[in-house]
Amino acid sequence: MFPYSNHAVVPPSFLRNRFDNGITPEHDDPFPNSPESDSPESSTTGSVCLDPDCHEPHSSESDYPTTDTTEPEYIDPGLREPHSHGVFFVTESSEARKMPPTNGYTSKVRVLDRYKVVGFISSGTYGRVYKAVGHNGMAGEFAIKKFKPDKEGETIQYTGISQSACREMALCSELSHPNMIHLVEIILEDKCIFMVFEYAEHDLLQIIQHHSQPTRHPILASAVRSILFQLLNGLLYLHTNWVLHRDLKPANIMVTSKGEVRIGDLGLARLFYKPLHSLFSGDKVVVTIWYRAPELLLGSKHYTPAVDLWAVGCIFAELLSLRPIFKGEEAKMDSKKTVPFQKNQMQKIVEILGMPTRDKWPGLIHQAEYGQLQTLSSYVREGNNGKSGLESWYWNTLRSTGYQDSPPSVTPGQQGLDLLSKLLEYDPEKRLTAEQALQHPYFTANGEKVSANCFEGMSTQYPSRRVSQDDNDIRTSSLPGTKRNGFPDDSLAGRPTKRMKD
Amino acid sequence: MAADYWASTQRRHWQFSREALAEIRQKLEDDDRALVQQYPLPDRRFLSHFFNLQLAKLGKKFMIRQQALATAQIYIRRFYSKVEIRRTNPYLVLATAFYLACKMEECPQHIRMVVSESRQLWPDFIISDVSKLGECEFYLISEMNSQLIIHHPYRTLQSLQNTLSMAQDDTSLAWSIINDHYMTDLPLLYPPHVIAVTAIFLALTLKPTQAGLQAAASTAAALSSTTLMPKDQPGSGNGVLNTQQKKVQNLVSWLAEGEIDIQSAVECSQEIISLYDVLEQYNEKTCKEQIGRFVKARGLEK
Repeated sequence: MFPYSNHAVVPPSFLRNRFDNGITPEHDDPFPNSPESDSPESSTTGSVCLDPDCHEPHSSESDYPTTDTTEPEYIDPGLREPHSHGVFFVTESSEARKMPPTNGYTSKVRVLDRYKVVGFISSGTYGRVYKAVGHNGMAGEFAIKKFKPDKEGETIQYTGISQSACREMALCSELSHPNMIHLVEIILEDKCIFMVFEYAEHDLLQIIQHHSQPTRHPILASAVRSILFQLLNGLLYLHTNWVLHRDLKPANIMVTSKGEVRIGDLGLARLFYKPLHSLFSGDKVVVTIWYRAPELLLGSKHYTPAVDLWAVGCIFAELLSLRPIFKGEEAKMDSKKTVPFQKNQMQKIVEILGMPTRDKWPGLIHQAEYGQLQTLSSYVREGNNGKSGLESWYWNTLRSTGYQDSPPSVTPGQQGLDLLSKLLEYDPEKRLTAEQALQHPYFTANGEKVSANCFEGMSTQYPSRRVSQDDNDIRTSSLPGTKRNGFPDDSLAGRPTKRMKD
Repeated sequence: MAADYWASTQRRHWQFSREALAEIRQKLEDDDRALVQQYPLPDRRFLSHFFNLQLAKLGKKFMIRQQALATAQIYIRRFYSKVEIRRTNPYLVLATAFYLACKMEECPQHIRMVVSESRQLWPDFIISDVSKLGECEFYLISEMNSQLIIHHPYRTLQSLQNTLSMAQDDTSLAWSIINDHYMTDLPLLYPPHVIAVTAIFLALTLKPTQAGLQAAASTAAALSSTTLMPKDQPGSGNGVLNTQQKKVQNLVSWLAEGEIDIQSAVECSQEIISLYDVLEQYNEKTCKEQIGRFVKARGLEK
């Protein structure tokens, strides 16, 4: 029988106490962005592109802005182990390992017991990525992301894990989808975090670059369609699960050797289910500048999943033209850490899309930087022949990249333009959602099925990811870290970087 | 998944049957039999209550919202299902769970602030070295397998309050019952929506009014009958239902239509009611002393 019929009323004093502890149910954090928030790398800024008008196709990846700030002088202490060639992680001194396990932390799993590192892939503010294979017959190849440990003086210290690493670890552990990069495991060892992912042979940046050299030749229209479909499919999964990616760009979108698209790098991703304070208050700047949506550029405090769809639009355009469509130059944060208006980036957008208007975007006047828009008007480039700016950009691009006009299977065509214009829609409320975009006739127009293998029917074979096996090479990268193997670092190339993060 | 409880790591890895949980705990004690015998500890619910109060103190210093504290409590409970408490410094674990939960609930606090505020609260147990807390964070995350996203019953409560036309008072009461359930093992045993429904049920029926009690009795009867049909709802004999009874009936009808496991809700209610009963005997001094004893004796605070 139900117990509390003779239990009458539960000690009400107890319940009342709950209300007296000063912690009300939905207490908003009054210091959402305390000056000392947790990131060791907050608000660093990089250098500015000196050549605003460079219209070159990407000659190297170093051309790309990142959400990371580059750090000078980061010497990875885990790069070399004296006695074993080709091993990049150093495990802690045996002395530390002998510590009694009672109070301190010792990892039960050791990364080098499980994986053999075969090379270095890339580095960023977060740390470095290595290519590895499994020991003991574990099949497959892996990419191990090693978060940079913090150092105080010469020794590595535990200083608290950055919020973005926490988010990435938690989200990657939770999420699972064929169009998301697959997390194998996370190993916390010797003050370092190792996230082990499946290895993906390619990424969109690499593919775009392959098509830019030696001469520009278009990515197969069917491949573009497949890539975009898979990308949107992964994004739909993220958004359905209330996750904003906030850093979509070609370099973060992996492609496996089987032509499967995998969204990667959840370092800036976060849940947006009923946030207690505006997303802006948490992370002042999100999304790499060239892919940043207009509402972000205009200072919107409450942004939505639509920011990811804008980035998809930019990526779509870039797959077609093999160049970033809005290649602006980033204005740097001033010493007061106020976020500047990104005038140059906004101008690049306006040059192609025209000025946003209140008619088309009713929320426009509520944007914090609305006033700044007036300073741009003189830059507007008129579309010719009554075509909109985007329309003429689109057809010119298809022509100059080398897409044929017919048959319909070899060109992204009119439907491609329609989809692009609905992704690059100023008003975030009107911009297509991932779900709507997937329904777009662009994907069904020719009656062809979109392939789950973006390389299907392709004769070209993309080169494998460059992986360095040279110890020396890696040591020298202690100069400003090599962004990717073989290319000079961002900071050397003098390019915009950005992220200030949580 | 982040928003879908059914695919979440919480459901897949952190929800146990009572038997399984008991077995896990038994094994933990068996592995450290000597320690366990040497340092007796109070009932787990007393310890949890103690932790809860300490966390609330820490939370108050940072004006942290309830949900982050709830997350911290889950982290602590998960951690101690993997690690014998007598091998740890519970104050450090508390501070660390708080620090980590704040990051995950998007209200990050600086590690130095957490350490210094913790040190003020528990000067005998926290040293001012942030690396201790940083190390403990590795320990916590590792034991939880980086599964840090927690689904709380608050969300279900919020989405049901209108459906069930609950008054603000009812919601607040249900909210505080949810706050209290973190002192039990329920978060490791039942899905958050079952707990939310339990809290709503208790809130609606525990009102210290005669009507509320009648409603409770009749609802309990209805709940325990296997052929639960809203139309058979007893307890409306006089034909006039007051508002409280109507709310309870709403709830019963809603339960009958839905997929909620009623048996689970009944078990949850019993657990919460007995919690309130047990906590009458709570003695903070004992908790403090018994925790202090093993921490100091084993030098775990250093």
